[in-house]
Amino acid sequence: MSALGLAGGVVQPVLIVAGSPLLVGLMRQVRARLEGRAGAGVGQPWRDLRKLLRKERITPRGTSEVFRFAPLVLVATTLVVAVVVPFVATESAVDPAADLFAVVALLALGAVALALAGLDTGTAFGGMGASREMTILALVEPTLLVAIFALSVRVGSTNLSAIVSSTLHDPARVISPVSLLAAVALVVVIVAETGRIPVDNPSTHLELTMVHEAMVLEYAGPDLALVELASAMRLSVFLGLLANLFAPWGIAAEATPLAVLIGVLALVVKVGVLGGLLAAAEVFVAKLRLFRVPELLAGSFLLALLAVAASFFLA
Amino acid sequence: MNLAATGMAAAVAIGLMTALLAVVRARPAVVGAGTALTGAAAMTAGAAALSGGSFSLVLPGVLPLSGVVLALDPLGGLFVAVTGGVAVAAGIYAMSYVDTEDLRARGVQVALPVFVVAMVLVPAAANVGTLLVCWELMALTSLVLVVAEHRRGPQVASAGRWYAVMTHAGFVSVLIGLMVFVAHARDDSFAALREAGRQLSPVIAGVVFVMTLAGFASKAGIVPLHAWLPRAHPEAPSHVSALMSAAMVNLGVYGLVRVGADLLGGGAAWWWLLVLGLGAVSAVYGILQAALSSDLKRLLGQSTTENMGLVLVGVGAAGLFASSGDHALAALALTAALLHVVGHAAFKTLLFLAAGSVLHATGSRDLDVLGGLRPVMPVTTAAFGLGALAASALPPGTAFVSEWLLLQALIHGLPAGGVGAAIAMPVAVAAVALTAGLAVATFVKAFGVGFLARPRSEAVVGAHESPFTMLAGMGVAALACVVVALWPAAIMPAVRAAAGESAVSGAVTLRLNQVTGALSPLLLTLGLVAAAVVVAGVVRAVAVRRVRREARLWDCGGGPMSARMEYTATSFAEPLQRVFDDVVQPELDVDVSHHQESRYLVQAVEYRRKVPDRIERRLYQPVLDLVTAWGLAGRGLAPGSVHRYLGYGFYSVCGVLILLAVTR
Amino acid sequence: MHVQLLDLACGALLLTAVLVLWRRELAVIIRVFALQGAVLAVLVGVLAAHEGSAELWAVAAGVLVLRAGILPHLLRRALAGAGESRRETRPLVNVSASLLAAAALTLLAYAVSQPLVQLAPSAATQAVPVGVTVVLIGFFVLVTRRRALSQLVGFLLMDNGITAVGFLLTTTGVGLVVELGVSLDVLLAVLVMQVLTTRMRETFGDTDLDELRELRD
Repeated sequence: MSALGLAGGVVQPVLIVAGSPLLVGLMRQVRARLEGRAGAGVGQPWRDLRKLLRKERITPRGTSEVFRFAPLVLVATTLVVAVVVPFVATESAVDPAADLFAVVALLALGAVALALAGLDTGTAFGGMGASREMTILALVEPTLLVAIFALSVRVGSTNLSAIVSSTLHDPARVISPVSLLAAVALVVVIVAETGRIPVDNPSTHLELTMVHEAMVLEYAGPDLALVELASAMRLSVFLGLLANLFAPWGIAAEATPLAVLIGVLALVVKVGVLGGLLAAAEVFVAKLRLFRVPELLAGSFLLALLAVAASFFLA
Repeated sequence: MNLAATGMAAAVAIGLMTALLAVVRARPAVVGAGTALTGAAAMTAGAAALSGGSFSLVLPGVLPLSGVVLALDPLGGLFVAVTGGVAVAAGIYAMSYVDTEDLRARGVQVALPVFVVAMVLVPAAANVGTLLVCWELMALTSLVLVVAEHRRGPQVASAGRWYAVMTHAGFVSVLIGLMVFVAHARDDSFAALREAGRQLSPVIAGVVFVMTLAGFASKAGIVPLHAWLPRAHPEAPSHVSALMSAAMVNLGVYGLVRVGADLLGGGAAWWWLLVLGLGAVSAVYGILQAALSSDLKRLLGQSTTENMGLVLVGVGAAGLFASSGDHALAALALTAALLHVVGHAAFKTLLFLAAGSVLHATGSRDLDVLGGLRPVMPVTTAAFGLGALAASALPPGTAFVSEWLLLQALIHGLPAGGVGAAIAMPVAVAAVALTAGLAVATFVKAFGVGFLARPRSEAVVGAHESPFTMLAGMGVAALACVVVALWPAAIMPAVRAAAGESAVSGAVTLRLNQVTGALSPLLLTLGLVAAAVVVAGVVRAVAVRRVRREARLWDCGGGPMSARMEYTATSFAEPLQRVFDDVVQPELDVDVSHHQESRYLVQAVEYRRKVPDRIERRLYQPVLDLVTAWGLAGRGLAPGSVHRYLGYGFYSVCGVLILLAVTR
Repeated sequence: MHVQLLDLACGALLLTAVLVLWRRELAVIIRVFALQGAVLAVLVGVLAAHEGSAELWAVAAGVLVLRAGILPHLLRRALAGAGESRRETRPLVNVSASLLAAAALTLLAYAVSQPLVQLAPSAATQAVPVGVTVVLIGFFVLVTRRRALSQLVGFLLMDNGITAVGFLLTTTGVGLVVELGVSLDVLLAVLVMQVLTTRMRETFGDTDLDELRELRD
């Protein structure tokens, strides 16, 4: 474990935990301003979390450990991802875990824990949310892995540090059709995985349309705070991953305080810009019917496959 | 006499003695213990063979022609060890699972140890005669076990018929393939075949490969020869299901690797593209059927098709790389495939034994009436949860490690081969990925709907935890799952010995040789646990009120919710069914009956869904129709007169003799 | 740099072809088609810059005017005349299945164009499979779409693909005259089809090609 990896491993989780509610706040603010509202301010998600943490812990009758531990698993998986993925520094704190497949599977594990918790409540809402979430997850997985395949074929490795450093050393690679197609595919997939419009509406409580909110309906107090924090962290982690796979510039390549500081600033700016763009796009898009979502995902799958094809068409 | 030979001898001796004891007095505890001991001896033999202690044994007089020839090399040793391991878990489990009249029947009790002995002998056979005899013995004993509970309903007998016909058709296919092969060799020993395999003409080699592939693939439950599997595996008693699904299907893979890669010495690229294609189709189709199934054991059977498909993707990729000369990658792909065989054996045993425990306690395996098993059967629930995690390719799970290796092989294989590989690899990755995604959905459904939430029927409320030996059987399988998941390096030397070349090294972190790639499941899991502990600690420290309070579920203010408002397995799978509507073409039937007074008031809604196996209908129905037509046509020949029947024989003999006389 | 620009243009060509298959609204499809015309012009422009040939520059300008300007304009006019209920395509094969079919077509295109690429491996010929894919996707659109207008788009997609393949394969250019002739042909075809569609609508009140079956009876 190098000094740089260690620095990244310490700075990144702190940054992601502290920053992700702010990212959500920023995105809500952007939406509010574009819709002509004043908005609650960037710090509102943190205030909400503080409020929830002070409330009583409530366990619905008839639920098992699965329900109680799911928020912990959700946060823990995201936290591990935040530690191992090269967000701020090119080297990873735990290199053998910084594998793109492992990271994707870890994030899927968090979603599975939440889906099981939804089923565990035994309500119609929980089951419905879990069923929809798993359907989307099953369709997202192929796209994610094929897009990863496209990105890692030219590097010859699925190790994230290797992919990021290779892009850093050879910036010309970013403007290739492989990157273009894979980026579009990944954007669609990330929108689906983090439950944003047009796949899921994070601010709805209408039973016909909700996916994520339906699963977490029974959570309250500190548990709900963990779930909310984890979903914000997942969003930041996905956006950070997207940013660093295609535009890793600014990331710290040496273990000096200045480099790490620049790395932090670069990550904040990149994720902030991506989040702002996503929020702005959401204003103009309507939510898709649930059964139109597979079309969207099939399209992104095709793009990912085309990215692979392009990597040997135009090699 | 070395350890491998001693182990094999002990396995065969204990197994046959148990069978003899069962003939005299069939006591489940004794038979179960004997089966477990057989398994343990076989495991020892397999482990010894894997660490280099091979042996061979020739008994010329036992069988006609070339006699019985047994030899254990590392490849066979791996399969012997896996079979032994499954037998240990299933044997311990059977000690108290076997408590009904049907299962205590003498024939059934005798068949169990003989089945295990036959399965142990198949990978140790070193000539065609021995292989075929053991193969047939395995098929017959498993058939007896499948129909053990035939009094339960006509579906058991039907499953038995399907199994008998398919397994024998497969046997005939293997027989023809190997006979063609033997005809070109000195004798029927594997050594002679290996020699002859190098000089076979491509056409003959292709015929041998395709014929044996059909037979072995039908044993492994590969699409389109899978029709028997989702019938026979669920209807068999659960410990037999575990043996069949976790050990017997592996022997199909063993046969394929033995004949294709070893005896025929590799061969053309199209063989392996075919294997890879069959594997990819089986994986996706199997898991899709499983995702839509709401019968717990049927779901597990269909997931066996999926996993064998994944193994064949690995084997096919290995063959493809070997045929283009890239032996390092071939070893990696084969390692992945064999590791998946081991992992699948572990978690499928666990899952079937847990499902059997549920069946034992509630009398049902229909997910739509289960649920709420957590309070009444905590150990079984934990065991099934662990198995489900292991089966769904998520990080601290068993299948994750092998699927990771498989994907690494596929990714690095893209630049290796020509156009064929360039097209096959992305499609294979997509298929593996779709399989992984659907497997997650399937096992979330099986675990979440079957075990969590609230009970959906009275049977569950009265359920009880299973007796100790059944739990111990599950414990053995669970331990194997955990070892493969967290510390795959422990069994990696064994897999490496069987795969021939070393592809993976490292104790805690698995590092790929020749290509870059590393993964440490143990570190990953430790990280997860550490993170969870930290988060829990922080929340405890920050939270002001620490007491947990129980509260009513949110019922929209409509009074207490009944179990009928819960999501069932059918409703859970409905979105997936809609998405894959064109592929599975389910038959839906919705009946809405209205109230007498007003058409606007609905009295009852009846919803029936059937997901027929489309491949089966397209492929098997014409054959079945043909057979039926043939049978009807033949009915005219059978008027019931015994003289007439004897006369047919007489006329035929005379006819043959006349033909001989004329043509001479 | 020239290679990367070329590759990027090819990637955009693929992306636009996929988008035509993906989206349902005809207005969006026409916009995407116009974008593809522009991308094709860029492709030819990159080749022209590389070859330093004025003739190719002229062709690039022509492609831009015709495929990103005139043809989309004509299509839009036809769409405007079609009325409110005719704004969406009604594919015979559902969108997900056609996207998967497109994936298979891509791999097929790659397999069949390997011999062509191997004739003279260069950055431009490497991209030939992309052109072939666009042709195949165009053909697929032609086969599986019901509305006359979306079929027209399919036909034009095929033509774009053929043009791309032509330029990629023989970088020296098919020649100004040939390109001019083909372009005029396409323009003529579009005009004729537009007249036909208008007539169809006047006669049947619809441009659903399935209605043409009635002519046989």
